[in-house]
Amino acid sequence: MGDFVAHTEQAAGEFDTAAASSVTSAEGRVHLPGDVHMWVMVLGDLIIFGAYFIIFMVFRARNPQEFLASEQHLNINIGVLNTLVLLASSWFIARSVQAARADDHAQALRLTYFGGLCGVGFIAIKAYEWSAKITQGYTISSNDFFMFYYMLTGVHLFHVSLGLLILGITVRELRNPRRRRPFMVEAGATYWHMVDLLWIVIFALVYVMR
Amino acid sequence: MSSTVSTDPSPTAGTVDPARPPRAGKRDVWLVFWIVPAFYTAFGVIFFALARVMPPPRPDVTVDQMVHFFHAHALTIKIGFGVLVLIVGGAGISNGIVVYHMKRMTVGSVMAYIYLGSMSVGALPGCLLVAFSFLTAVYRPGRDPQILAMLYDLGLLSYVGSLGCFSTAYFAFAVAILYDKNEIFPKWLAYVNVWQIVTEILTVAVFVSKAGPFAWNGANSFWLGTVIFGVWLVCVIVFLKKANELQPADEPPLD
Repeated sequence: MGDFVAHTEQAAGEFDTAAASSVTSAEGRVHLPGDVHMWVMVLGDLIIFGAYFIIFMVFRARNPQEFLASEQHLNINIGVLNTLVLLASSWFIARSVQAARADDHAQALRLTYFGGLCGVGFIAIKAYEWSAKITQGYTISSNDFFMFYYMLTGVHLFHVSLGLLILGITVRELRNPRRRRPFMVEAGATYWHMVDLLWIVIFALVYVMR
Repeated sequence: MSSTVSTDPSPTAGTVDPARPPRAGKRDVWLVFWIVPAFYTAFGVIFFALARVMPPPRPDVTVDQMVHFFHAHALTIKIGFGVLVLIVGGAGISNGIVVYHMKRMTVGSVMAYIYLGSMSVGALPGCLLVAFSFLTAVYRPGRDPQILAMLYDLGLLSYVGSLGCFSTAYFAFAVAILYDKNEIFPKWLAYVNVWQIVTEILTVAVFVSKAGPFAWNGANSFWLGTVIFGVWLVCVIVFLKKANELQPADEPPLD
């Protein structure tokens, strides 16, 4: 009987501790930017691209000379320029989120436009780069490296276009005084930063790696 | 199935009025729902085990090897694709129940019609053309090897390379989910549809690639796309079941 009481008290004590810790965690809970749905998208997309990158590395390891020789035909300056453009866009978008959180919606809107303009610039530079490669005779069927080059950058370009659409939704959100839900602005920014992150990995793998 | 139906609260269950019998619940919707996993299981058995289309045989083989493929698998191709031609309507059933729940969304019917139309057109190159190419090839095994080789290429290119109709359907599904305020499906399922569009884009190189990751049996074109399709299919089936369960039994029939 005494054991039972002791156990009960111990259990009650544990319950109190658990309750206290849950309160603490509720108070100190970290805010999840955006919504959980966008995070499913981003994390899943990162896994899918991770698989593409591993497949790229496997095929590169099988034929390192061909990949390295083909890589020399890419213009690294254009790659660097595109990286800077996309990094700048992420900087604008990050500041836009901060402005939206501070209820400075005019500034948030302006920064989102700048971010989107950088995205359009990225697509224009990529289109120039592709057309230059195609006129030099390096097409999707040249070899495995160029097939990876066009497919990886092409799928990334699709993500940039989708990102511009999402930034358009952010703009619509910010322009309407009845909307302006911070989580929508954050969700758009979450996606846009993923596009930036993916480009940095693609740039490192396809343009830079020796 | 029956247990789920019986747990649905029916407002008229308590009253016995011989003139107006209580609604039968959603037996028809549940019947259609359970055909979906059954159809895709049969689909998997046919394409993987019988017709040997999944994983696809290699594109970088000689004409003799293509002819040998048809000779070696003639019997299972006839059984598998013979059955497929009989049950291929299951694809229509699977699309039908998705469209049914899409029509329950707040977005109106236009996306549902796009899904229905695109999936219906897509079934022709994406499923039936390979069946008829392979059935034609094994129908007269003594045919000119070059013709058999053409049927081999035609079947596999159409099966792996039929992209646009499906990406349009995934696009419509994604937009409908994102706009819907009834929350028939979770929002993140829209993004799973976006991954499907991505895999369709990555498969476009099958028409120029005869070996390696972007060929019709390649790691990118086939394997990754198939894994993500599997994820998509499981999600859709699970959330169709949830949508069935959450639909009120007394919801009026759709227009």
